[in-house]
Amino acid sequence: MEYFLEVLINGVLTGGLYGVTAIGLTLIFGVIKVINFAHGTYLMIAMYAAYGVCVGFGMDPYLSMILIVPFSFAVGYVSQVVFVTPCLKAEKDVREPVSVLLLTAGLWIFVNNLFLMLFGANFRSLQTPYSGAVFEIGNMMISRTLLYAFCFSVLTTALLTVFLKKTNMGRAIRAVGQDREAAGLMGINIFKVYNVAFGIGIATLGVAGAIIIPMFYVHPFAGDVYDMRDFVIVVLGGLGSVPGALLGGIIVGVVESFAGEYLNMSWAAGIIYIIFLLTLFLRPQGIFGFEKDS
Amino acid sequence: MKDEPGVGLSRLKSPNWYLPILMLVLLIGNPLVLDSTTYIQVSILVLWYACLTASWNFVGGFAGVLPLGHAAFAGIGAYTSTLLFMNWGITPWIGMLVGGVLAVLAALVIGIPTFKLHGAYYALSSIAVVEIIRIITENTQSIFGIQVNGTQGLLVPLKGHAPLYFQFGEKIYFYYIILAILILIVTIAYKINNSKLGYYLVAGGEDQEAAESLGINVTRCKLIALSLSAFFTAIAGTFYAQLVLYIFPQGIMALNLSFEIAFIAIIGGRGTLLGPVIGAMILVPIGEISRIYLSGSRFLGIHLMMYGAIIVVAMLYKPQGMMGSFEKWYWMLVDKLGGKSPNAG
Repeated sequence: MEYFLEVLINGVLTGGLYGVTAIGLTLIFGVIKVINFAHGTYLMIAMYAAYGVCVGFGMDPYLSMILIVPFSFAVGYVSQVVFVTPCLKAEKDVREPVSVLLLTAGLWIFVNNLFLMLFGANFRSLQTPYSGAVFEIGNMMISRTLLYAFCFSVLTTALLTVFLKKTNMGRAIRAVGQDREAAGLMGINIFKVYNVAFGIGIATLGVAGAIIIPMFYVHPFAGDVYDMRDFVIVVLGGLGSVPGALLGGIIVGVVESFAGEYLNMSWAAGIIYIIFLLTLFLRPQGIFGFEKDS
Repeated sequence: MKDEPGVGLSRLKSPNWYLPILMLVLLIGNPLVLDSTTYIQVSILVLWYACLTASWNFVGGFAGVLPLGHAAFAGIGAYTSTLLFMNWGITPWIGMLVGGVLAVLAALVIGIPTFKLHGAYYALSSIAVVEIIRIITENTQSIFGIQVNGTQGLLVPLKGHAPLYFQFGEKIYFYYIILAILILIVTIAYKINNSKLGYYLVAGGEDQEAAESLGINVTRCKLIALSLSAFFTAIAGTFYAQLVLYIFPQGIMALNLSFEIAFIAIIGGRGTLLGPVIGAMILVPIGEISRIYLSGSRFLGIHLMMYGAIIVVAMLYKPQGMMGSFEKWYWMLVDKLGGKSPNAG
């Protein structure tokens, strides 16, 4: 029973981490309607940036967020201005924005291999006093870094939800997500909202990058494992729903944790994909989504 | 091109056919010019990719959806023919067709539910399907007594120079086989392009609801396109297994291959008859040559980096692919030769 509980808790905590990697994707998907295949790549960039700051200035990884989050925001903002907006404008009358999807896929492959060339294929890991430390509750062992990561995920989700609900920019973002033509007619500058939404989406990866590096290796392809999983989470939680992404992340984390414990990690990925397909067929709007989004 | 002068073979005298015939002659003569193993190997790979992209184009181009999981069909082809050969001694020539039929069945099973999904959702579901197939293969050591070998993959048993078993002492045989397969695929694509099915596919791809309201069964047309696509992709899969004599899930069923196929076809020009072939002829040599000459430790992923950069630039400045420009030059040339371009009326 305690073992079962330990697997469950680990699943929930890991799921929180997955959730924070996915909220940016759901925001970008929900507002700009762009499938960002380079999402994992932006996470990888944030991880390298956080790693660089921590090693270079001897900063604590959690403290490094004050630099990495604005940096990630800037990276996202600039990407939207330089790449996505021109592509969106070029295909205004095309119904499915497939060329933007391919553009981000191209960015993904280009940047990953650029980093491979610049930094080599070796795995880098950050040593902190609390890497590998655990809390012991009875016979259960709970990783400290994973618990911190979970707390930051919940905090980020809560902050972003409040931002979207209470601020003018947040309301504008939600309006554009619901109906871009109507929002444009109300005097909202759609492309400016896109820039900010993409920036915020990538900024959340700044948080993710900083909380991942005390736990996992930094590598040019480190973001890729999050890519498809994040799509699953986003569809599961409902497109554009920030709390949905956290919940979707937790579901995926728990499923993976149990599948990994009782089968193996490779089967776990297969089960996630099957859940993904079932969600698409049976409830394409996801758990938190609305019918019209599908 | 319905209004061409002459019927049957005599219409080949029309200037419209000069360039295709010239291209064919060049392709047939190609390996005789430069007798170097590397050159022939790269030429074979170019034609192999051209087969994959031209097959992809049936559904990714003509039907206007974006499948990103075509490696699954190549994997089904490669594994079927190899397993049949290893366990029952059935020649891959027959195994190739069995693999093709199995791929069509898989395509129908996958296509019927996934074609209900639109745009990006379809693309994501196709990725999920190929990943599921890869994971199942990787985790299967043996099934019903048949060795699948999981991640290690399969070695095709060597027979030496045995044309009956699809094994040849010299690469040049493979060159002509893959060229013949490519010509077959392009011919079928040409027929479809000028048939009712082709128009239905384009109509369904542009606006599904409008096409359906005119009485076109769009899903059925898409399923036919996907079946053709899966069949020839599986055949190319068997070809690869016989060429390399070693297959493993992470190679022939990888997401990378699926993306490469889609990238090359789109850069070439999706939905055009020869765009995917031209795309393969331009991109694959660039990729292979940089892989051969530049992949020292310092330039690990340079060929992929170039692919990525090319697709980003292509999407920003030429989202319809390179074929648009080629077509313009082509018809200009045909006009000069005294032929008739379809737009000239």
